Amino acid sequence: MNGALTFLIFLPALSAIPLLFEKNPKAVRWFTLFVTSCELAISLLIYRLCRQGIFTGRALLKTDYPWIARFGIHYALMMDGISLLLVTLTALLFALCTLVSWRQVSERVSLFHAMLLFLETGIMGVFLSADLFLFYLFWEVMLIPMFFLIGVFGHGRRVYSAVKFFVFTITGSLLMLLSIIGIYIIHGRQTGVYSFMLRDLAHTPASPAISAVLFLGFLLGFAVKVPLFPLHTWLPDAHTDAPTAGSVILAGLLLKTGAYGLLRVAFPLFPRAAAAFMPLIFTISVIGIFYAAWIAFAQKDMKRLIAYSSVSHLAYVVLGIAVWNEVSIAGSVLQMVNHGITTGALFIMVGMMDERMHTRDISAYGGLWSKAPAMSAFFLFFILSSLGLPGLNNFAGEFLILTGLFRAHPWLCAAGFVGMVATLIYLLSLAQKVLFGPSKEYHGFSDLSGRELAILIPLAVLVVFIGVYPAALLRILDTPVRDMVSAVSISSAGGVIP
Amino acid sequence: MTLMDFHNLLPYILLSMGACLLLLVGAFMRRPSARALNILGAIIALAAGVSAIYIKPSQADIGNLLAYDAFGRFFTAAASFMACISLLFASGYSTRRPIGHEEFPSLALFAAFGMSLLASSTSLLGVFLGLESMSLSFYVMLAANKSDPLSGESGLKYLVIGAISTAFFAYGLALIYADSGTLSLADSISALSGGAGAAKITGVGLAGWAMLIVGLGFKTSLFPFHLWVPDVYQGGPAPAVGFLSTASKASVFAVFLKFTGAAGAPWAELSHVLWVMAALTMIFGNIAALTQNNIKRLLAYSSIAQMGYVLVALIAAPGSGQSAAIFYLVAYAAMELCAFGAISAFSGKDGELGDIRDLRGAGFKYPVRSAALSIALVSLAGLPPTAGFIGKFGIFYSAMNSGYVWLSITGILTAIVSVYYYLRVVVYLYMRGEGKTEKAAAFPAVDIPSGLALAALSVIVIYLGIFPERLLNLIASLTRLTV
Repeated sequence: MNGALTFLIFLPALSAIPLLFEKNPKAVRWFTLFVTSCELAISLLIYRLCRQGIFTGRALLKTDYPWIARFGIHYALMMDGISLLLVTLTALLFALCTLVSWRQVSERVSLFHAMLLFLETGIMGVFLSADLFLFYLFWEVMLIPMFFLIGVFGHGRRVYSAVKFFVFTITGSLLMLLSIIGIYIIHGRQTGVYSFMLRDLAHTPASPAISAVLFLGFLLGFAVKVPLFPLHTWLPDAHTDAPTAGSVILAGLLLKTGAYGLLRVAFPLFPRAAAAFMPLIFTISVIGIFYAAWIAFAQKDMKRLIAYSSVSHLAYVVLGIAVWNEVSIAGSVLQMVNHGITTGALFIMVGMMDERMHTRDISAYGGLWSKAPAMSAFFLFFILSSLGLPGLNNFAGEFLILTGLFRAHPWLCAAGFVGMVATLIYLLSLAQKVLFGPSKEYHGFSDLSGRELAILIPLAVLVVFIGVYPAALLRILDTPVRDMVSAVSISSAGGVIP
Repeated sequence: MTLMDFHNLLPYILLSMGACLLLLVGAFMRRPSARALNILGAIIALAAGVSAIYIKPSQADIGNLLAYDAFGRFFTAAASFMACISLLFASGYSTRRPIGHEEFPSLALFAAFGMSLLASSTSLLGVFLGLESMSLSFYVMLAANKSDPLSGESGLKYLVIGAISTAFFAYGLALIYADSGTLSLADSISALSGGAGAAKITGVGLAGWAMLIVGLGFKTSLFPFHLWVPDVYQGGPAPAVGFLSTASKASVFAVFLKFTGAAGAPWAELSHVLWVMAALTMIFGNIAALTQNNIKRLLAYSSIAQMGYVLVALIAAPGSGQSAAIFYLVAYAAMELCAFGAISAFSGKDGELGDIRDLRGAGFKYPVRSAALSIALVSLAGLPPTAGFIGKFGIFYSAMNSGYVWLSITGILTAIVSVYYYLRVVVYLYMRGEGKTEKAAAFPAVDIPSGLALAALSVIVIYLGIFPERLLNLIASLTRLTV
């Protein structure tokens, strides 16, 4: 079983290499679908085989080999409930993205799919690393495939968006690298053990000033990816100009790596500094919720609108993590999964409309329901899920986050609720403008095909399932979140309770 | 000369005698083929490199001039391999661009011989000899294309700058000799550090050392001695420039590394000056590269900046910086050679690859060269999983560990800047199609030796990025042995 995680991470990258040399597009697509389905099957199998461990143990699976012994770097992987959920989400979305791109990508097919698979390796690696150096390596490995997906296969100002995405992220992550080296040196000097293992570094004694500086480096690196309010400007461009699969992965997974980094790395390593920075994080998150909602309302392009909705949704996730209690963290992780499913589905549907109409301009649509009822029903359904209709998945996550928030900061909770109303406004207005009203002209606009249904139905089922029975996922999260909160205590008073 | 000497000196003999052999073969061949001669040169260089690795010397040094130590052997092997790779690139290149017949491979071997001398010499005189035999070869190699005025300009510029730096170096030597009375590297360094048994260093000696550093600074293109780089790189034939940019700088840094081996107060004194030089080199190189449209000029400024990173490691040398510097030099050699190899493979009869806008859409038409160039650039930008990332990590780690936090921050910030111009080339390769007005340039088919060399270098760059451990251990065993 111990090789399972390694296999999970490197299967896509290794299969991408022969793919680069395959000319036949059909073979490329089927092969990619096969690999991504294997990934999904493996992650479900891990869930199946480790059921007992999920409820009792801390880590389901572990791998640990010395890798670059000179620097104390380990090839160490670890999967607990949190990683399991995110890994499964990753595998699911990649399998769906292969299907989504079946028709959309007709040129340079092998490069596209190879990049998709390299990207899957990077994301899986981020979610599974237990060593900070390894984490950083995978973190950066995600960049280049995404850069190619946007820059080569995107549309509009694709090159500008791709470069902007790259430069923003690399700026954050290189500053994070300095912090990584910093904490490594400090830990090594204090304890004599030079190690990048997250569990070792978690107990690094550093002076408040130094840990504040180091924490800031991590915060920058992760906040760019999430993205938090003033650093979000790359996101609308990247999402808009990326191909559908790229947008789905960006919103569904890449943003999650930022939130995951905050949860797994930044907060546990620097609880004191995190507590000191908490007011700042709260402020920019709340600003982000409202600002993004406000801007989203003014968007004419559907993809851009959904992109801004991601900024707003992810701000909730960060709020939930920053409060640092069991309820809110569980809610945040649940919400990461939910957002991946719902926003992924919305991007996929906008892509489907774009394929038919060759525009994503909201004003070009109207009265779609009369022309394509099935598609419209799904679209409305996912919009309702995104705005947090009770009984659907987002409600469960947001409710938990806000509950957790209420305990510590009732006012923040109130702000969060008002933010949900703002979300309601722009999403419902999107639904109203596109689906209802006087019908626009649609030439040759067909309703959903079998392949498209095969993509959307699993997502819709998940939306309902998580909405009705979130306990199925929360049970998985229970133990790891409890361990995490009890291991690291962050109080807003500024002290650390051991 | 006994058989033992022959055995010990084999790498040097192979390089110098091989160079002479090539000249003779070229002279006696009825119709000399530049291609075959270059490949022959590559084989000789490869043999020299292998012999430097596998033949264990049986004595410590010869005549107080050459040390048979692991450090020298390592750099001898490295210089030979770089010569080998450059000659592989030159073999295809010489069929498209006139760079002469036997003189190019012969001079490359002479240059490699000079470099090995430089790295393994134990006396200042040996350093001088090595430096000169290396530079003299490069003057001609850079001007090898007689039909191209730019190539002549490049050779001439390097000659003028080389003469100035030689003057500094020689005068520095004289001052040091006048002050310490010895030309032995180890003795004069210990005089510098005021070590036991050595006379205290005087102002004259210090001036000598400063001049020495100026001379070496010219060769490694450190700010403010970098002005020759862009023109020389732009004009010279790509294989020669690749060789110049990697091997010559690596072996001159080997000399620098010997100075740092004697860790002591003077190094701390010097490090103040070097600190400023390193910061300015990184800042200037990276910012100037931003606006370049000629790929060779772009790489020229980038190589200035890269030397700044190596200097950062050198400043931190008393700690783990020595290993970091050597590792980075090896990584840099692989990626820079890969980039220049791709450029020389892109160069056709009409001229060398110049404007990066000529690369529009080349990524899909010429996949091997473009992939190699992209991998090289990604590695130069310091992104994982490449050798460049591990190298930069090592440098910033040792700088921060020695307390040079601001220098590390400067390095990281300039590295962020550098990402932009490296990416620009990748953007043209893969993301800009042919416009209506801008036609993509047509490039010749890739020749087999270049293709193989490019593939090998790309694999090395990625391999060192994922499995650096063995090289790191080897380097650590070297630095324990120096001086």
